[in-house]
Amino acid sequence: MANEKPFRIAVPDDALALLQRKLADTRFPDEVEDANWAYGTPLADIKRLTERWRGDYDWRAHERRLNEQLPMFTRDIEVDGFGTVNVHYVHKRSSVAGAIPLIYVHGWPGNFAEVSKILPLLTAEEPGHPSFHVVAPSLPGYGWSEGILKPGFQGKNYAELFNKLMISLGYSEYVTQGGDWGFVLTRYMAARHGPKHVKASHTNATVAPPITFRNSPLQYFKYLLTPYTEIERKAIERENYVKMTGMGYFAQQSTRPQTIGYALADSPVGWLAWIYEKLVSWTDEYPWTDDEVITWISIYWFSRAGPAASLRIYYEIANSGELFSLPRTSVPVGISCFPKELFRSPRAFVHAESNIVFESEHAAGGHFPAYEKPEALVDDLRRMFGRDGPAAGVVSGRIGY
Amino acid sequence: MISDEEPFQISVPDDAIALLKRKLEDTRFPDEVEDPGWDYGAPLADIKRLTERWRNGYDWRAQERELNALPMFTRNIEVEGYGSLNVQYVHKRSTVEGAIPLLFVHGWPGSFIEVTKLLPLLTASSPDHPSFHVVAPSLPGYAWSEGVLKKGFQGKHYAELFNKLMVSLGYTEYVTQGGDRGRLLTLTTASIYGPKHVKASHTNAPVAEPLTFRRNPFRFIKYMVTPYSAQEVQAAADAERFLRVGAGYSLEHSTKPQTIGYSLEDSPVGLLAWIYEKLVAWTDAYPWTDDEVLTWISIYWFSRAGPTASVRIYYELAKSNESLRFPEISVPFGISIFPKEVVRSPRAFLSAKASIVFESEHEAGGHFAAWEQPEALASDLRAMFGKYGPAANVVSGCSGY
Repeated sequence: MANEKPFRIAVPDDALALLQRKLADTRFPDEVEDANWAYGTPLADIKRLTERWRGDYDWRAHERRLNEQLPMFTRDIEVDGFGTVNVHYVHKRSSVAGAIPLIYVHGWPGNFAEVSKILPLLTAEEPGHPSFHVVAPSLPGYGWSEGILKPGFQGKNYAELFNKLMISLGYSEYVTQGGDWGFVLTRYMAARHGPKHVKASHTNATVAPPITFRNSPLQYFKYLLTPYTEIERKAIERENYVKMTGMGYFAQQSTRPQTIGYALADSPVGWLAWIYEKLVSWTDEYPWTDDEVITWISIYWFSRAGPAASLRIYYEIANSGELFSLPRTSVPVGISCFPKELFRSPRAFVHAESNIVFESEHAAGGHFPAYEKPEALVDDLRRMFGRDGPAAGVVSGRIGY
Repeated sequence: MISDEEPFQISVPDDAIALLKRKLEDTRFPDEVEDPGWDYGAPLADIKRLTERWRNGYDWRAQERELNALPMFTRNIEVEGYGSLNVQYVHKRSTVEGAIPLLFVHGWPGSFIEVTKLLPLLTASSPDHPSFHVVAPSLPGYAWSEGVLKKGFQGKHYAELFNKLMVSLGYTEYVTQGGDRGRLLTLTTASIYGPKHVKASHTNAPVAEPLTFRRNPFRFIKYMVTPYSAQEVQAAADAERFLRVGAGYSLEHSTKPQTIGYSLEDSPVGLLAWIYEKLVAWTDAYPWTDDEVLTWISIYWFSRAGPTASVRIYYELAKSNESLRFPEISVPFGISIFPKEVVRSPRAFLSAKASIVFESEHEAGGHFAAWEQPEALASDLRAMFGKYGPAANVVSGCSGY
């Protein structure tokens, strides 16, 4: 395990002091009467959160907690054409020697700490359930991973980075879990490094390119003739709502991330509002505490590369032209469907694109299931990879028991 | 006749300037990818330079004095359903008694300042060209006009506001000039209050919805078989590019104005970058000085309602589906086409909507025609409304001479 260094978050005092000064000088906008959420994040929420952040919120206590709960490390990984990238990651091994190595890849506006609730469950030794060794990196430019300043860092580069990370940790074969960007990046991993290294993938993202008459005429007709289920209908409504009202951030970040980056790097309340809007609209009535929200926001605020660096993935991958036609893989895939996930393609599309060996439908949960519904997600992973599961024994010599 | 009119002088409180300075001193900049040019957004070097100037060297009080040399006033105008709105406006009469009253309406990220260079040209007296009395209001929520905090303030409300303003100044009949948001707002005014009050309209934003077969079958067919001119080909490419990479700001404004508002309200550098990107992208190599840029942005920063108020118009007009509309007008209509105007619709779309009595195409100039090419724009207005022009004598008793 060369170049691995144990890592503890230790935000410098002057960063905290700067934040305090900025919060004290916050200039709030006014608000349209009875706006609620229609115009964006409500003023009352933002004022309350800002007051808390400025006052009783104790970053040092949360920093200690993160350091205690999550065994973290950093390591240099070479990526072809980009030199060395210093990656920050959580790595917790199960006491079960034959546990299944699993890499958990977060997205935006997520972070490595999303893994905190599933970590003890996945690594636990429980009779009747498989156990996992868990690796949860921060994407470059997130958390305490180095940002990438050379343009053009795309799906295949992330795949190389994370594949090398797993191999360097002794996991030459492993499985992946990802949603949001984690879905996209684990797909690249599977396409480029599976089935040799990536043996199976699990995701909570439920998108796939359309079946068209041109690419699959028979499946297309079958799709046309099969009525949508109630779940699919509700999901279409949700997707349309998100598309109509919630894609401004995407359009901006995928075209001019630097322009919005100035505001988000400079204004804590600006960053808070930008993210909090998604923490609420993308979850299924998750009862966020103020401190939970502030900690999520603070991880970005105090991150090694700053909040603006986290936006560039949108620009790079959207401009690669591949975002809506990801590479395909024959690696077995499991999907967990949560009702408040953002986009949901018809079942037929998802099955046409991937080798779906496991599928599970939930009555509650949204875009961050590891955080909102940890038991449900872990249960799905255990069923997918357990002794009688459809992906049992995919990793040679590591069946989880 | 001129009741509740008050002369107006901008006088930003000292503590507002002090707060700006404190914030500028504590600016936290993002990093930037290597050699990005303008691809990712406003470049870091530009923003750093402008921020430094704004913090140290830029003299707001001197700029304020210069702006106060413009003849400015405020007045309360009743708008049905919205009560009384206090509107700030520039009002300069020509020495020529029979000058043509002209309403000039700015858009985003412009302001009343845009009329500054036109004012001496339009009000000047000469036997060779007509003169104008010029009224240039600040839109509600911009500069020192009161903001609207009740939902649903749409095109027709702006029209009522402007018409009442003009009539209250003694101009029962007048003509309009508008670009950016000003295009829609002046044409809506013409639609509702013409030909009784609005006698003609001119725009430098030649935008109209596409022709459809259903609405105009003959024109549609003709349009289909007529090849684009070289300019129209270029315009189509420019419009496509704008929608693909330059319209993120518009989608965010139109869906979540409050969310982006927190950033614009709290972060001077954030506001600077958000606007500066467009000041450069939308002009035709206009040689902005740093102080010009900073004055344009300071008007937003120090505005009565704050920067957030200015973006709500996008939301409201999107909700009423008016953004790209060309309202039905029956009055003479003129267009000035500048090569770097952002969206330039095919001529066939425009001529389907209104009787184009005046048209002029220029070799240079962009979105802020009155600022970039004041002589050209003034010359167009003189040609349109002059003695032998196509809209000569539209205003009773006001030939302009």
